[in-house]
Amino acid sequence: MIDDHKHGIMTVELPTLLLQFQPEGEELKSRQKYDQAARQFVKQLDNVSAAHWLKEADTPQDVLEILNPAVNSIAYAFTLRHRIAAAVNKKSLPDSAQPGGALWNKLVLFLETFDPVQMRYAGQEWKKLVDYVEPLAHNAGSPGLAIAPIRSAMIRLDPTTGTFTSTHVDFMRLCLETRSYAAAEPILDNYIHSLPSHIPTVVREGFEYSVPCADVARSGEYIHRLSGHSDKVTIIDVQEYYVLGAMAYLGLRQFTKARHFLEHVLVMPAANVANGLMLEAYKKWVLLSCLVPGEAKNIPRSANATAIKQVRSASKAYEAVAEAYTHLSNMPKLKAQINAGAQTWAEDGNTGLVKAVLDSQMRAYVSRLSRTFSAIPVSNIARNVGGSADETAQYLETLIEEGYLNARLEQTDKPEAGIVLRFYLDPTQGPLAKSEKQQQQALFEQTLRTNALADQVKDADYRLTLTKEFIENLKRQQKRQGASGDAMDTAWDDGIEEEDIMVDL
Amino acid sequence: MASNIEQSLFFQQRRSKDELIVKDPPKFDLESYIANYAGHTRIDRLHHIGSHSPYLALDAYRLAITEAKKGKNVNLYLQLVEELSGVAPQDPAAMTDTTWAEKKAQETQREQDRLEHELKSYKNNLIKESIRMGNEDLGHFFYDIGDYSNSHKSYMKMRESCTSNKHLADMTLRLVYVSVAQKSWLTVQSNLAKVDAAQLKGEDKTKLEPIVSACTGLAHMCIGNFKEAATNFLGTSPAFLTTEPAAGITWQKEVLSGNDVAVYGGLCALASMDRSELQAKVLGNSEFRNFLELEPHIRQAISLFCNSKYSACLDVLEGYRSDYLLDVYLSKVLGTIYGRIRTKSIVQYFIPFSCVTLDEMSSKFPAAAGITIKEELEQMINDKTLEARLDLVDRLLISPPTNPRHDVHADALKMAETYDHTLRLRLTRLNMQAAGMEIKAEKGSSEKMNAGMSERIGEGLKGLGSKMSFS
Repeated sequence: MIDDHKHGIMTVELPTLLLQFQPEGEELKSRQKYDQAARQFVKQLDNVSAAHWLKEADTPQDVLEILNPAVNSIAYAFTLRHRIAAAVNKKSLPDSAQPGGALWNKLVLFLETFDPVQMRYAGQEWKKLVDYVEPLAHNAGSPGLAIAPIRSAMIRLDPTTGTFTSTHVDFMRLCLETRSYAAAEPILDNYIHSLPSHIPTVVREGFEYSVPCADVARSGEYIHRLSGHSDKVTIIDVQEYYVLGAMAYLGLRQFTKARHFLEHVLVMPAANVANGLMLEAYKKWVLLSCLVPGEAKNIPRSANATAIKQVRSASKAYEAVAEAYTHLSNMPKLKAQINAGAQTWAEDGNTGLVKAVLDSQMRAYVSRLSRTFSAIPVSNIARNVGGSADETAQYLETLIEEGYLNARLEQTDKPEAGIVLRFYLDPTQGPLAKSEKQQQQALFEQTLRTNALADQVKDADYRLTLTKEFIENLKRQQKRQGASGDAMDTAWDDGIEEEDIMVDL
Repeated sequence: MASNIEQSLFFQQRRSKDELIVKDPPKFDLESYIANYAGHTRIDRLHHIGSHSPYLALDAYRLAITEAKKGKNVNLYLQLVEELSGVAPQDPAAMTDTTWAEKKAQETQREQDRLEHELKSYKNNLIKESIRMGNEDLGHFFYDIGDYSNSHKSYMKMRESCTSNKHLADMTLRLVYVSVAQKSWLTVQSNLAKVDAAQLKGEDKTKLEPIVSACTGLAHMCIGNFKEAATNFLGTSPAFLTTEPAAGITWQKEVLSGNDVAVYGGLCALASMDRSELQAKVLGNSEFRNFLELEPHIRQAISLFCNSKYSACLDVLEGYRSDYLLDVYLSKVLGTIYGRIRTKSIVQYFIPFSCVTLDEMSSKFPAAAGITIKEELEQMINDKTLEARLDLVDRLLISPPTNPRHDVHADALKMAETYDHTLRLRLTRLNMQAAGMEIKAEKGSSEKMNAGMSERIGEGLKGLGSKMSFS
């Protein structure tokens, strides 16, 4: 039906044109047809001149009133984008584009309700609309207002938010700037499983099940280098995302996750050199290794050894702190190390983290006691750490409440013992105990996660086979095999070839 | 008299330097003990006993000085006399025999000149065998005057003129012998390995085997590898007791005796093996029994350990502590060996119990010097040799309840999480490689890398970092 109106841009009224693409229509049940129609529609709208879009704005016939953002998402996106562009280009920003204004509200409504499948085709519009949110909010002096709409736009487009886009980095910057660490969490918890790659057109188009609108399509398939959803992504962007993400986790005091995020930076491919972000990541990683109890302190194996050596030699002060941290019987040492490096931490912006390390040493000391003792008078602990028994008891109480210790405090009748810290020896008892059912549930959830991840790995593997380099290498290999086969033909003792000849005879 | 000697200048100096002094009288008889030894080790052992035991100091030094006067090592003589004069200034042997010393010094100088001259002329004549023998003589000579590093050098020079496997083996054995005197055990080990690798055949090989295994055991023991030491000592064939001199050295007299093999082997085994291993490899070892018969109390200690009578076993060993501290090789490692045996005993003792009071523990294992049983157990638990928990309130040692099912679940979950994370890291790498992303060196800045790196960190980042707060 769109074909009929191919040359009708100037003749057909804008509203009519915009309503031509009906994603729910009978004709578009076939995914392949839908794909063609959607592409065609986007191409058509691209050709409409800017002036057209502004006609009848703010009248009852305004297309923005006629169109439903959740149904006519492509059309709505184009219209909205042109309207905002016009507003932003004015000398002073009209009120309607300010947060709370009509246009702003439409933008937010759109980002929260658009049809994700249609937006797979209008990548550029999506990107531009998302990019408007932050400057508008900033301009009004409350950048925090931008977070929710951007995040919703990301999640609607790709529920896994696992295909990396430049929006990811922008979003993280915004969250850190406004200190909205918790707001970043839903995005951070979804791991990055794909980077926008170059998918050959042959693979991209024409197959029933691999068109972007297919139900089974993964975000890595509709967000790619040419889809317009993202600016060009560089390695620095990816690194920055992980470092910023780790910092957000730090803000939430989720040390394990922060440490895992930093490891992503450490394992990035490197031509035997490190860069600043890697150094930054390594420094924080060393400190975090102290805060995460019981984990192996080894650098992931796939990291580039030379690069790691470089960052290590530039982070001596940090390693000294980590080393001092392990001397639980000599706590003043850590304090001395930390005081000695005060300037370094301040310059690197790690003062807060270093302080957290210092605070946690006491905790590590107490939890190490659980490996040695089943019960110990609080006065003994107080003597070792230097403090009164009451203070120590209070401190222990908070540790138990915060879930760091599987233990209880009890009053004994023995006068020399006083208050006693008693650890639960059996892991199935005490406040931190996990029942078998809980364990099973956790295992079950983990299985699901791992399976999903395994699929992502398979996908990544598949994408790898689509790259030019892979194919060229394959070609080269085949050629080499072919060449050696030719050489063998002339060799006098090629048994297999001779046998073939015999068969032919 | 002994108390007099203990207060003497020499022992006071040792005490001020915090060196070992064995106060209790040993069980052995010096005369018969030292009769087992000959050559260098005889003086060395006498010297060791003299300088460590106030009780035997006089006798040991006197014997050592007489012995030293028979040899060519003037410096050793002078040292012994000086030390004796610190112990007992009035003793006749403490008077330096200067005429002998001067005469001997001149004699040895003349001998050295002669030997070096001879070697030179051999070298001019280019007769390999003579050069080898010249070097060997020089090696012997340096050994006799106590210049071990030159001795080692001379023996090493023999290598290029060795013409048969036997010569090579002899030379290597000599090197072993010198390194034992130097107490440089790593050299001993590497040379022993060479003896083993030398292509000796038949009788020659079987003859050397006991010597090699005994010496390997010794070297391992002295550097603290008790498990390997035990294995080597236990594998030493009884032929060691009667073997003929090899490379001109009577090993069982000049290095370590059969009794030593029994003691060293038994102690190392106790320190490193569990009960079933001890039963099978020590008590049930018909070859090693020949050695054990020489030292019945070692055998007794091992059987006591195997029968779970740990405190009795420790008592037996404790009774011989001073003897072993006066042994030139054992004295340095004895503390460690005894410590290991004690720890093992405690661990083995605790296995069948779920809960023992600390008082019971300290009565079974009387506390060692300067450390209470509580501190000892705490240490053992901390370094994970003992799987237990201390209850300081009721003074109990508790064996923690195990819950394998829970542990397996917890482990599985942990493993799955680790796997998951590793997989994610790999995925990141894979994706980046596929996208051709790689950290590359900036042009011409690879040297300045480290210096410039911290400055090049994005300013924006720095700002953000300092804004982080943990309140």
